[in-house]
Amino acid sequence: MQLNTDDINRFIGRFSLGRDSNPLNVTGSPHFLRIKIPGGLLDTKQFRRIAELARGYSRGQAEITNRQDIQLHWIDAKDALDIFSIMDEMGFTTDMCGQGFSGARYGDARNIVCCPVSGIDRNELLNGAALLKKLSDFFIGNPDFQDMPRKFKFSISGCGCDCTRAVINDLAFVAVKKNEEIGYTLLAGGGIGASLPGPQLAKPIYVFIKPEDAFTTAVAIIEIHRDYSSRESKSKARFKWLLHTWGLKKFLNTLEEKVGKRPEKYEGAAFIKNGEHEGVQSQKQKGYDYINVPLIGGTFTSDEMISLANLADEYGNGKLRLTPTQNLIIPYVEKKDTLLRRLEENGFQMRGSKLRWTSMGCASDFCGKTKTPHAKDLTKKIVDGLEKQFNIKWLNEAEFRIYISGCPNNCCANLIAEIGLAGKLAKVNGDPKQTYTLLLGGGFGTKLSLGRRVEVDVPAEKISSRIKSLLMNYFKEKEASETLREFCNRCTQEDLKHFLTLPGD
Amino acid sequence: MTNIQRISEKRYSLDVRGQVCPYPELLVLRALQSLSSNDILEIVLDNPPSVRDIPASLAKRGYQEINVSLISKGTWKIIVPIAKRQ
Repeated sequence: MQLNTDDINRFIGRFSLGRDSNPLNVTGSPHFLRIKIPGGLLDTKQFRRIAELARGYSRGQAEITNRQDIQLHWIDAKDALDIFSIMDEMGFTTDMCGQGFSGARYGDARNIVCCPVSGIDRNELLNGAALLKKLSDFFIGNPDFQDMPRKFKFSISGCGCDCTRAVINDLAFVAVKKNEEIGYTLLAGGGIGASLPGPQLAKPIYVFIKPEDAFTTAVAIIEIHRDYSSRESKSKARFKWLLHTWGLKKFLNTLEEKVGKRPEKYEGAAFIKNGEHEGVQSQKQKGYDYINVPLIGGTFTSDEMISLANLADEYGNGKLRLTPTQNLIIPYVEKKDTLLRRLEENGFQMRGSKLRWTSMGCASDFCGKTKTPHAKDLTKKIVDGLEKQFNIKWLNEAEFRIYISGCPNNCCANLIAEIGLAGKLAKVNGDPKQTYTLLLGGGFGTKLSLGRRVEVDVPAEKISSRIKSLLMNYFKEKEASETLREFCNRCTQEDLKHFLTLPGD
Repeated sequence: MTNIQRISEKRYSLDVRGQVCPYPELLVLRALQSLSSNDILEIVLDNPPSVRDIPASLAKRGYQEINVSLISKGTWKIIVPIAKRQ
Protein backbone atom coordinates (compact mmCIF):
# COMPACT_ATOMS: atom_id res chain seq x y z
CA MET A 1 0.00 0.00 0.00
CA GLN A 2 1.43 3.39 -0.97
CA LEU A 3 0.85 6.24 1.42
CA ASN A 4 1.15 9.84 0.27
CA THR A 5 3.68 11.38 2.66
CA ASP A 6 5.25 13.90 0.31
CA ASP A 7 4.46 16.73 2.76
CA ILE A 8 6.60 14.90 5.34
CA ASN A 9 9.27 13.52 3.04
CA ARG A 10 10.22 16.92 1.70
CA PHE A 11 11.90 17.74 5.00
CA ILE A 12 13.73 14.44 5.51
CA GLY A 13 17.49 14.80 5.38
CA ARG A 14 17.42 18.55 6.06
CA PHE A 15 15.45 18.88 9.30
CA SER A 16 15.28 16.91 12.52
CA LEU A 17 14.45 17.23 16.18
CA GLY A 18 16.93 16.18 18.86
CA ARG A 19 16.14 14.37 22.06
CA ASP A 20 15.73 16.23 25.36
CA SER A 21 14.38 15.08 28.73
CA ASN A 22 16.72 12.28 29.42
CA PRO A 23 16.75 10.85 32.01
CA LEU A 24 15.48 13.23 34.70
CA ASN A 25 12.94 15.20 32.71
CA VAL A 26 13.31 18.14 35.08
CA THR A 27 12.46 20.63 32.34
CA GLY A 28 9.76 18.65 30.53
CA SER A 29 11.25 19.39 27.11
CA PRO A 30 10.71 16.40 24.82
CA HIS A 31 12.75 17.67 21.87
CA PHE A 32 15.10 20.42 20.85
CA LEU A 33 15.39 22.10 17.48
CA ARG A 34 18.96 23.03 16.56
CA ILE A 35 18.75 25.62 13.80
CA LYS A 36 21.89 25.60 11.71
CA ILE A 37 23.18 29.12 11.18
CA PRO A 38 26.32 28.61 9.06
CA GLY A 39 29.07 30.77 10.55
CA GLY A 40 26.43 32.39 12.77
CA LEU A 41 25.53 34.80 9.96
CA LEU A 42 21.92 35.94 9.72
CA ASP A 43 19.84 39.03 9.18
CA THR A 44 17.38 40.72 11.50
CA LYS A 45 14.37 39.50 9.54
CA GLN A 46 15.46 35.90 10.04
CA PHE A 47 16.30 36.58 13.68
CA ARG A 48 12.82 38.02 14.32
CA ARG A 49 11.19 34.96 12.78
CA ILE A 50 13.27 32.70 15.01
CA ALA A 51 12.15 34.85 17.94
CA GLU A 52 8.55 34.24 16.87
CA LEU A 53 9.22 30.49 16.62
CA ALA A 54 10.62 30.63 20.15
CA ARG A 55 7.57 32.54 21.32
CA GLY A 56 5.17 30.10 19.69
CA TYR A 57 6.82 26.79 20.39
CA SER A 58 9.66 27.17 22.91
CA ARG A 59 8.20 29.05 25.88
CA GLY A 60 9.69 32.27 24.54
CA GLN A 61 13.28 31.14 25.10
CA ALA A 62 16.21 30.42 22.79
CA GLU A 63 19.91 29.75 23.18
CA ILE A 64 23.00 30.23 21.05
CA THR A 65 25.10 27.07 20.97
CA ASN A 66 28.87 26.99 20.91
CA ARG A 67 28.69 26.04 17.21
CA GLN A 68 26.79 29.20 16.26
CA ASP A 69 23.39 27.49 16.01
CA ILE A 70 20.22 28.73 17.68
CA GLN A 71 18.55 26.04 19.74
CA LEU A 72 14.92 25.93 20.83
CA HIS A 73 13.50 23.50 23.38
CA TRP A 74 10.06 22.16 24.40
CA ILE A 75 9.36 21.28 20.78
CA ASP A 76 6.50 18.85 20.25
CA ALA A 77 6.69 16.47 17.27
CA LYS A 78 3.14 17.40 16.24
CA ASP A 79 4.34 20.96 15.51
CA ALA A 80 7.39 19.87 13.56
CA LEU A 81 6.03 20.25 10.03
CA ASP A 82 4.76 23.76 10.71
CA ILE A 83 8.12 24.75 12.20
CA PHE A 84 10.10 23.14 9.37
CA SER A 85 7.95 24.98 6.79
CA ILE A 86 8.76 28.33 8.40
CA MET A 87 12.45 27.46 8.59
CA ASP A 88 12.47 26.34 4.98
CA GLU A 89 11.06 29.73 3.96
CA MET A 90 13.87 31.40 5.90
CA GLY A 91 16.50 29.22 4.24
CA PHE A 92 17.55 27.39 7.39
CA THR A 93 17.92 23.69 8.19
CA THR A 94 18.93 21.75 11.30
CA ASP A 95 21.66 19.41 12.43
CA MET A 96 20.62 15.74 12.37
CA CYS A 97 21.31 15.52 16.05
CA GLY A 98 20.55 13.90 19.36
CA GLN A 99 19.12 10.63 18.08
CA GLY A 100 21.22 8.10 19.97
CA PHE A 101 21.35 5.39 17.30
CA SER A 102 23.23 2.46 18.70
CA GLY A 103 25.50 1.86 15.72
CA ALA A 104 28.11 3.80 13.81
CA ARG A 105 25.64 5.32 11.34
CA TYR A 106 23.72 8.42 10.24
CA GLY A 107 26.52 10.89 10.94
CA ASP A 108 26.13 14.29 9.26
CA ALA A 109 28.26 17.39 8.72
CA ARG A 110 27.41 19.73 11.58
CA ASN A 111 26.93 23.47 11.38
CA ILE A 112 30.21 24.91 10.12
CA VAL A 113 31.79 27.27 12.61
CA CYS A 114 33.47 30.35 11.20
CA CYS A 115 35.23 33.37 12.69
CA PRO A 116 32.34 35.65 13.71
CA VAL A 117 34.04 38.74 12.34
CA SER A 118 34.94 37.33 8.92
CA GLY A 119 35.15 40.11 6.43
CA ILE A 120 35.09 42.89 9.02
CA ASP A 121 38.09 42.13 11.26
CA ARG A 122 40.65 44.87 10.71
CA ASN A 123 43.62 42.48 10.90
CA GLU A 124 42.09 39.58 9.02
CA LEU A 125 44.36 37.39 6.93
CA LEU A 126 41.61 35.76 4.89
CA ASN A 127 37.82 36.01 4.82
CA GLY A 128 36.51 32.47 5.32
CA ALA A 129 32.90 33.34 4.47
CA ALA A 130 33.10 32.21 0.84
CA LEU A 131 34.44 28.79 1.81
CA LEU A 132 31.84 28.60 4.58
CA LYS A 133 28.99 29.23 2.13
CA LYS A 134 30.27 26.83 -0.50
CA LEU A 135 30.74 24.01 2.00
CA SER A 136 27.44 24.62 3.80
CA ASP A 137 25.50 24.69 0.52
CA PHE A 138 27.22 21.49 -0.56
CA PHE A 139 26.51 19.47 2.59
CA ILE A 140 22.99 20.57 3.50
CA GLY A 141 20.56 17.87 2.39
CA ASN A 142 23.29 16.06 0.43
CA PRO A 143 22.37 12.35 0.67
CA ASP A 144 26.01 11.33 0.12
CA PHE A 145 26.91 12.76 3.53
CA GLN A 146 23.97 11.80 5.74
CA ASP A 147 25.05 8.33 6.68
CA MET A 148 28.66 8.77 7.71
CA PRO A 149 30.00 6.61 10.54
CA ARG A 150 29.55 9.58 12.85
CA LYS A 151 29.12 13.34 12.78
CA PHE A 152 31.83 15.60 11.35
CA LYS A 153 32.69 19.09 12.60
CA PHE A 154 34.38 21.76 10.49
CA SER A 155 35.69 25.16 11.48
CA ILE A 156 37.14 28.02 9.46
CA SER A 157 39.07 30.94 10.85
CA GLY A 158 40.81 33.71 9.01
CA CYS A 159 41.71 36.18 11.74
CA GLY A 160 44.83 34.56 13.23
CA CYS A 161 43.10 33.77 16.56
CA ASP A 162 41.50 30.51 17.60
CA CYS A 163 38.13 32.19 18.00
CA THR A 164 36.40 29.11 16.56
CA ARG A 165 38.00 26.65 18.98
CA ALA A 166 39.55 24.95 15.98
CA VAL A 167 41.31 22.42 18.18
CA ILE A 168 38.09 20.58 19.04
CA ASN A 169 36.96 20.14 15.44
CA ASP A 170 37.41 17.13 13.19
CA LEU A 171 38.87 19.46 10.57
CA ALA A 172 39.86 23.10 10.97
CA PHE A 173 40.86 25.50 8.22
CA VAL A 174 43.11 28.15 9.72
CA ALA A 175 44.33 31.07 7.61
CA VAL A 176 48.10 31.51 7.64
CA LYS A 177 50.75 33.39 5.74
CA LYS A 178 53.48 31.37 4.04
CA ASN A 179 56.17 33.66 2.77
CA GLU A 180 53.95 36.31 1.15
CA GLU A 181 51.12 33.99 0.22
CA ILE A 182 47.88 33.67 2.24
CA GLY A 183 46.16 30.30 2.43
CA TYR A 184 44.96 27.75 4.94
CA THR A 185 46.76 25.27 7.08
CA LEU A 186 44.77 22.38 8.52
CA LEU A 187 44.30 20.94 11.98
CA ALA A 188 42.65 17.54 12.09
CA GLY A 189 41.32 14.90 14.42
CA GLY A 190 40.03 17.03 17.28
CA GLY A 191 37.18 16.00 19.54
CA ILE A 192 37.07 15.96 23.28
CA GLY A 193 34.22 13.56 23.89
CA ALA A 194 34.78 10.21 25.52
CA SER A 195 34.83 8.21 22.26
CA LEU A 196 38.11 6.54 21.37
CA PRO A 197 40.95 7.40 21.56
CA GLY A 198 39.63 9.76 24.25
CA PRO A 199 39.81 13.56 24.28
CA GLN A 200 42.05 14.84 21.47
CA LEU A 201 43.05 18.31 20.41
CA ALA A 202 43.17 18.63 16.62
CA LYS A 203 46.74 18.28 15.42
CA PRO A 204 48.50 20.21 12.69
CA ILE A 205 48.92 18.17 9.52
CA TYR A 206 51.54 20.59 8.22
CA VAL A 207 49.99 21.47 4.89
CA PHE A 208 49.36 24.73 3.07
CA ILE A 209 46.17 24.86 1.03
CA LYS A 210 45.56 27.64 -1.45
CA PRO A 211 42.11 29.24 -1.00
CA GLU A 212 41.00 27.98 -4.41
CA ASP A 213 41.81 24.38 -3.37
CA ALA A 214 40.15 24.57 0.06
CA PHE A 215 36.70 23.31 -0.96
CA THR A 216 38.04 20.28 -2.85
CA THR A 217 40.36 19.44 0.03
CA ALA A 218 37.55 19.70 2.59
CA VAL A 219 35.28 17.41 0.59
CA ALA A 220 38.10 14.91 0.03
CA ILE A 221 38.79 14.75 3.76
CA ILE A 222 35.17 14.28 4.76
CA GLU A 223 34.95 11.54 2.11
CA ILE A 224 37.92 9.85 3.77
CA HIS A 225 35.97 9.94 7.05
CA ARG A 226 32.82 8.64 5.36
CA ASP A 227 34.58 5.82 3.52
CA TYR A 228 37.25 4.73 5.99
CA SER A 229 36.19 5.57 9.57
CA SER A 230 34.95 2.56 11.52
CA ARG A 231 31.40 1.36 10.99
CA GLU A 232 31.99 -1.57 13.31
CA SER A 233 32.04 0.34 16.57
CA LYS A 234 30.40 3.62 17.51
CA SER A 235 33.17 4.36 19.99
CA LYS A 236 35.71 4.16 17.15
CA ALA A 237 33.65 5.95 14.53
CA ARG A 238 34.83 9.53 14.93
CA PHE A 239 37.47 10.88 12.55
CA LYS A 240 39.95 11.27 15.42
CA TRP A 241 40.14 7.46 15.75
CA LEU A 242 40.89 7.05 12.05
CA LEU A 243 43.73 9.56 12.24
CA HIS A 244 45.00 7.95 15.42
CA THR A 245 45.13 4.49 13.86
CA TRP A 246 46.29 5.54 10.39
CA GLY A 247 48.89 8.09 11.37
CA LEU A 248 49.67 11.25 9.44
CA LYS A 249 51.61 9.60 6.59
CA LYS A 250 48.83 7.23 5.55
CA PHE A 251 46.26 9.99 5.86
CA LEU A 252 48.26 12.38 3.65
CA ASN A 253 48.88 9.63 1.08
CA THR A 254 45.15 8.93 0.88
CA LEU A 255 44.39 12.63 0.60
CA GLU A 256 46.95 12.94 -2.20
CA GLU A 257 45.33 10.06 -4.08
CA LYS A 258 41.93 11.72 -3.82
CA VAL A 259 42.90 15.27 -4.82
CA GLY A 260 45.59 14.27 -7.30
CA LYS A 261 48.44 16.23 -5.76
CA ARG A 262 50.47 16.45 -2.58
CA PRO A 263 49.59 19.59 -0.60
CA GLU A 264 52.44 22.03 -0.05
CA LYS A 265 54.15 21.87 3.33
CA TYR A 266 53.56 24.39 6.06
CA GLU A 267 55.39 24.12 9.34
CA GLY A 268 54.70 27.49 10.92
CA ALA A 269 52.30 28.32 13.73
CA ALA A 270 48.58 28.00 13.11
CA PHE A 271 47.61 30.86 15.41
CA ILE A 272 49.53 34.07 15.81
CA LYS A 273 47.52 35.77 18.56
CA ASN A 274 44.86 35.19 21.19
CA GLY A 275 41.42 36.73 21.35
CA GLU A 276 37.74 36.08 20.86
CA HIS A 277 36.60 39.44 19.47
CA GLU A 278 35.23 40.70 22.78
CA GLY A 279 33.68 44.09 23.44
CA VAL A 280 33.69 46.93 20.91
CA GLN A 281 36.21 46.84 18.09
CA SER A 282 36.76 48.90 14.99
CA GLN A 283 36.19 47.19 11.67
CA LYS A 284 38.38 47.12 8.61
CA GLN A 285 35.65 49.25 6.99
CA LYS A 286 36.56 52.81 7.97
CA GLY A 287 34.10 54.52 10.30
CA TYR A 288 32.43 51.33 11.51
CA ASP A 289 32.67 49.31 14.71
CA TYR A 290 31.22 46.00 15.74
CA ILE A 291 29.70 45.46 19.16
CA ASN A 292 29.86 42.03 20.74
CA VAL A 293 26.92 41.67 23.15
CA PRO A 294 27.81 39.26 25.97
CA LEU A 295 25.03 36.85 26.86
CA ILE A 296 26.80 34.43 29.29
CA GLY A 297 25.40 31.05 28.34
CA GLY A 298 23.83 32.41 25.17
CA THR A 299 20.23 32.57 26.29
CA PHE A 300 17.68 35.21 25.43
CA THR A 301 13.93 35.61 25.40
CA SER A 302 11.85 36.32 22.31
CA ASP A 303 11.40 39.88 23.48
CA GLU A 304 15.16 40.32 23.92
CA MET A 305 15.73 38.91 20.44
CA ILE A 306 13.27 41.37 18.96
CA SER A 307 14.93 44.27 20.76
CA LEU A 308 18.37 43.17 19.51
CA ALA A 309 17.00 42.96 15.96
CA ASN A 310 15.49 46.45 16.28
CA LEU A 311 18.78 47.88 17.54
CA ALA A 312 20.73 46.19 14.74
CA ASP A 313 18.35 47.72 12.21
CA GLU A 314 18.57 51.16 13.79
CA TYR A 315 22.32 51.30 14.47
CA GLY A 316 23.83 48.60 12.24
CA ASN A 317 23.19 47.25 8.76
CA GLY A 318 20.38 44.82 9.60
CA LYS A 319 22.78 41.89 10.00
CA LEU A 320 23.76 39.89 13.06
CA ARG A 321 26.48 37.39 13.85
CA LEU A 322 26.40 34.66 16.48
CA THR A 323 29.73 33.83 18.06
CA PRO A 324 31.14 30.42 19.04
CA THR A 325 31.23 31.79 22.60
CA GLN A 326 27.43 32.11 22.70
CA ASN A 327 27.32 35.87 22.15
CA LEU A 328 25.87 38.11 19.45
CA ILE A 329 27.66 40.70 17.34
CA ILE A 330 26.03 43.77 15.83
CA PRO A 331 28.30 44.84 12.95
CA TYR A 332 28.55 48.07 10.96
CA VAL A 333 27.82 50.39 13.88
CA GLU A 334 28.51 54.08 13.31
CA LYS A 335 27.31 55.40 16.69
CA LYS A 336 28.82 52.96 19.12
CA ASP A 337 28.32 55.04 22.27
CA THR A 338 24.63 55.52 21.57
CA LEU A 339 24.16 51.85 20.79
CA LEU A 340 26.02 50.82 23.94
CA ARG A 341 23.69 53.03 25.97
CA ARG A 342 20.62 51.66 24.22
CA LEU A 343 21.80 48.08 24.82
CA GLU A 344 22.22 48.83 28.53
CA GLU A 345 18.75 50.42 28.60
CA ASN A 346 17.40 47.22 27.07
CA GLY A 347 18.92 45.11 29.85
CA PHE A 348 22.15 43.92 28.21
CA GLN A 349 25.13 44.34 30.52
CA MET A 350 27.90 45.72 28.32
CA ARG A 351 30.52 46.40 30.97
CA GLY A 352 32.55 43.87 32.87
CA SER A 353 35.46 41.51 32.61
CA LYS A 354 36.41 39.49 29.53
CA LEU A 355 34.92 36.49 31.33
CA ARG A 356 31.51 37.88 30.40
CA TRP A 357 32.37 37.27 26.71
CA THR A 358 34.50 34.15 26.93
CA SER A 359 32.78 31.92 29.49
CA MET A 360 30.20 29.38 28.47
CA GLY A 361 27.56 27.03 29.86
CA CYS A 362 26.04 24.01 28.11
CA ALA A 363 22.36 23.39 27.35
CA SER A 364 21.68 21.69 30.66
CA ASP A 365 19.28 24.44 31.72
CA PHE A 366 16.94 22.95 29.13
CA CYS A 367 17.90 19.38 28.24
CA GLY A 368 16.74 17.73 31.44
CA LYS A 369 19.91 15.83 32.30
CA THR A 370 20.94 17.77 35.36
CA LYS A 371 19.65 19.16 38.64
CA THR A 372 19.90 22.81 39.62
CA PRO A 373 22.04 24.82 39.48
CA HIS A 374 22.29 24.17 35.74
CA ALA A 375 25.37 25.14 33.76
CA LYS A 376 24.26 28.49 32.33
CA ASP A 377 22.87 29.72 35.64
CA LEU A 378 26.02 28.67 37.44
CA THR A 379 28.28 30.32 34.85
CA LYS A 380 26.45 33.62 35.23
CA LYS A 381 26.48 33.40 39.02
CA ILE A 382 30.23 32.75 39.07
CA VAL A 383 31.07 35.56 36.63
CA ASP A 384 28.83 38.05 38.49
CA GLY A 385 30.44 37.00 41.77
CA LEU A 386 34.02 37.27 40.53
CA GLU A 387 33.38 40.74 39.11
CA LYS A 388 32.13 41.86 42.52
CA GLN A 389 34.99 40.23 44.41
CA PHE A 390 37.98 41.11 42.23
CA ASN A 391 39.35 44.02 40.26
CA ILE A 392 38.21 43.74 36.62
CA LYS A 393 41.68 44.60 35.31
CA TRP A 394 43.18 41.78 37.38
CA LEU A 395 40.60 39.34 36.10
CA ASN A 396 41.38 40.30 32.52
CA GLU A 397 45.12 40.02 33.04
CA ALA A 398 44.66 36.52 34.45
CA GLU A 399 43.43 35.56 30.92
CA PHE A 400 41.04 32.75 31.73
CA ARG A 401 37.71 31.33 30.66
CA ILE A 402 35.16 29.28 32.57
CA TYR A 403 33.42 26.47 30.69
CA ILE A 404 30.70 24.51 32.45
CA SER A 405 29.07 21.31 31.27
CA GLY A 406 26.21 20.01 33.38
CA CYS A 407 26.82 16.33 32.64
CA PRO A 408 29.75 14.12 31.65
CA ASN A 409 28.92 14.56 27.94
CA ASN A 410 31.23 17.57 28.04
CA CYS A 411 29.21 19.59 25.49
CA CYS A 412 30.99 22.76 26.57
CA ALA A 413 34.49 21.36 26.13
CA ASN A 414 35.44 22.05 29.74
CA LEU A 415 38.79 20.32 29.19
CA ILE A 416 40.07 23.28 27.17
CA ALA A 417 39.17 26.04 29.62
CA GLU A 418 41.47 27.40 32.27
CA ILE A 419 38.64 26.62 34.70
CA GLY A 420 36.46 23.74 33.52
CA LEU A 421 33.57 22.18 35.37
CA ALA A 422 32.14 18.81 34.41
CA GLY A 423 28.83 18.06 36.07
CA LYS A 424 27.79 14.76 37.56
CA LEU A 425 24.86 13.64 39.64
CA ALA A 426 25.87 12.09 42.94
CA LYS A 427 23.49 10.55 45.43
CA VAL A 428 23.34 12.34 48.77
CA ASN A 429 21.05 10.62 51.28
CA GLY A 430 19.44 8.79 48.38
CA ASP A 431 18.66 11.90 46.32
CA PRO A 432 20.59 12.88 43.18
CA LYS A 433 22.45 16.15 43.76
CA GLN A 434 24.36 18.21 41.22
CA THR A 435 28.12 18.04 41.72
CA TYR A 436 31.03 19.16 39.57
CA THR A 437 34.52 17.94 38.81
CA LEU A 438 36.98 20.84 38.73
CA LEU A 439 39.52 20.88 35.92
CA LEU A 440 42.27 23.47 35.89
CA GLY A 441 44.91 24.62 33.45
CA GLY A 442 43.34 23.87 30.09
CA GLY A 443 43.42 26.37 27.27
CA PHE A 444 43.83 27.01 23.58
CA GLY A 445 45.00 29.68 21.20
CA THR A 446 48.72 30.13 20.63
CA LYS A 447 49.42 27.58 23.39
CA LEU A 448 47.46 24.39 24.00
CA SER A 449 46.80 22.40 27.13
CA LEU A 450 44.17 20.05 28.47
CA GLY A 451 42.80 20.71 31.92
CA ARG A 452 43.88 18.62 34.88
CA ARG A 453 41.24 17.05 37.09
CA VAL A 454 41.95 18.57 40.48
CA GLU A 455 38.87 17.84 42.57
CA VAL A 456 35.88 15.58 41.96
CA ASP A 457 32.28 15.56 43.21
CA VAL A 458 32.33 19.12 44.54
CA PRO A 459 28.78 20.01 45.61
CA ALA A 460 27.40 22.68 43.27
CA GLU A 461 26.83 25.15 46.10
CA LYS A 462 30.56 25.09 46.92
CA ILE A 463 31.84 25.81 43.41
CA SER A 464 31.78 29.61 43.66
CA SER A 465 33.82 29.63 46.86
CA ARG A 466 36.32 27.15 45.34
CA ILE A 467 36.94 29.46 42.41
CA LYS A 468 37.10 32.54 44.61
CA SER A 469 39.67 30.79 46.77
CA LEU A 470 41.74 29.73 43.77
CA LEU A 471 41.84 33.30 42.48
CA MET A 472 42.71 34.79 45.85
CA ASN A 473 45.66 32.40 46.05
CA TYR A 474 46.61 33.02 42.43
CA PHE A 475 46.71 36.80 42.87
CA LYS A 476 48.76 36.32 46.04
CA GLU A 477 51.21 33.68 44.76
CA LYS A 478 51.56 34.32 41.04
CA GLU A 479 54.76 35.41 39.40
CA ALA A 480 54.82 38.69 37.51
CA SER A 481 52.58 38.60 34.42
CA GLU A 482 51.83 34.91 34.98
CA THR A 483 48.38 33.97 33.66
CA LEU A 484 46.03 31.73 35.61
CA ARG A 485 46.72 28.89 33.20
CA GLU A 486 50.47 29.19 33.58
CA PHE A 487 50.06 29.36 37.34
CA CYS A 488 47.83 26.26 37.46
CA ASN A 489 50.20 24.31 35.25
CA ARG A 490 53.18 25.31 37.41
CA CYS A 491 51.51 24.20 40.64
CA THR A 492 51.37 20.65 41.89
CA GLN A 493 48.09 18.83 42.29
CA GLU A 494 48.39 19.17 46.05
CA ASP A 495 49.05 22.91 45.80
CA LEU A 496 45.98 23.40 43.65
CA LYS A 497 43.78 21.37 45.97
CA HIS A 498 45.01 23.50 48.83
CA PHE A 499 44.42 26.73 46.87
CA LEU A 500 40.81 25.73 46.15
CA THR A 501 39.74 25.79 49.75
CA LEU A 502 39.23 28.88 51.85
CA PRO A 503 40.15 28.64 55.53
CA GLY A 504 37.13 27.26 57.38
CA ASP A 505 35.40 26.08 54.19
CA MET B 1 5.38 8.22 -0.93
CA THR B 2 5.85 5.70 1.87
CA ASN B 3 5.27 1.99 1.51
CA ILE B 4 3.11 0.08 4.02
CA GLN B 5 3.62 -3.61 3.51
CA ARG B 6 0.70 -6.02 3.94
CA ILE B 7 1.96 -8.98 5.98
CA SER B 8 -1.29 -10.93 6.24
CA GLU B 9 -5.02 -10.35 6.50
CA LYS B 10 -5.47 -7.09 8.46
CA ARG B 11 -1.80 -6.96 9.48
CA TYR B 12 0.60 -4.38 8.06
CA SER B 13 4.21 -3.36 8.52
CA LEU B 14 5.88 0.04 8.35
CA ASP B 15 9.68 0.22 8.27
CA VAL B 16 11.05 3.55 9.51
CA ARG B 17 14.63 2.45 10.17
CA GLY B 18 17.14 5.19 9.48
CA GLN B 19 14.60 7.94 10.13
CA VAL B 20 15.31 10.51 12.82
CA CYS B 21 12.81 12.41 14.98
CA PRO B 22 10.13 13.48 14.26
CA TYR B 23 9.64 11.39 11.10
CA PRO B 24 8.99 7.94 12.61
CA GLU B 25 6.20 9.39 14.74
CA LEU B 26 4.70 11.43 11.89
CA LEU B 27 4.81 8.52 9.46
CA VAL B 28 3.25 6.16 11.99
CA LEU B 29 0.37 8.57 12.66
CA ARG B 30 -0.20 8.94 8.93
CA ALA B 31 -0.11 5.16 8.43
CA LEU B 32 -2.59 4.54 11.23
CA GLN B 33 -5.01 7.03 9.68
CA SER B 34 -4.97 5.03 6.46
CA LEU B 35 -5.76 1.68 8.11
CA SER B 36 -9.14 0.34 9.21
CA SER B 37 -10.71 -0.85 12.43
CA ASN B 38 -9.24 -4.08 13.76
CA ASP B 39 -6.12 -3.76 11.58
CA ILE B 40 -2.76 -4.17 13.26
CA LEU B 41 0.31 -2.08 12.40
CA GLU B 42 3.82 -3.34 13.09
CA ILE B 43 6.47 -0.64 13.11
CA VAL B 44 10.16 -1.50 12.75
CA LEU B 45 12.49 1.25 13.94
CA ASP B 46 16.03 1.87 15.15
CA ASN B 47 15.81 5.37 16.57
CA PRO B 48 15.76 5.25 20.40
CA PRO B 49 13.91 8.55 21.00
CA SER B 50 11.09 7.34 18.76
CA VAL B 51 10.85 4.12 20.78
CA ARG B 52 10.25 6.41 23.76
CA ASP B 53 7.93 8.86 22.03
CA ILE B 54 5.69 6.80 19.75
CA PRO B 55 3.97 4.62 22.39
CA ALA B 56 3.36 7.70 24.57
CA SER B 57 2.01 9.72 21.65
CA LEU B 58 -0.28 6.88 20.55
CA ALA B 59 -1.52 6.30 24.11
CA LYS B 60 -2.49 9.99 24.28
CA ARG B 61 -4.53 9.46 21.13
CA GLY B 62 -6.40 6.53 22.63
CA TYR B 63 -4.51 3.59 21.17
CA GLN B 64 -4.28 0.70 23.63
CA GLU B 65 -2.37 -2.54 24.07
CA ILE B 66 0.71 -1.16 22.33
CA ASN B 67 3.54 -3.65 22.48
CA VAL B 68 7.22 -2.68 22.25
CA SER B 69 9.94 -5.30 21.83
CA LEU B 70 13.65 -5.28 21.03
CA ILE B 71 14.06 -7.58 18.04
CA SER B 72 17.82 -7.25 17.56
CA LYS B 73 20.58 -4.98 18.84
CA GLY B 74 19.44 -1.42 18.19
CA THR B 75 16.20 -2.40 16.42
CA TRP B 76 12.71 -2.45 17.91
CA LYS B 77 9.22 -3.46 16.87
CA ILE B 78 6.12 -1.64 18.05
CA ILE B 79 2.79 -3.38 17.48
CA VAL B 80 -0.31 -1.20 17.45
CA PRO B 81 -3.79 -2.71 17.26
CA ILE B 82 -6.44 -0.37 15.90
CA ALA B 83 -9.61 -0.58 17.89
CA LYS B 84 -12.98 -0.13 16.26
CA ARG B 85 -13.09 3.41 14.92
CA GLN B 86 -15.90 5.65 16.13
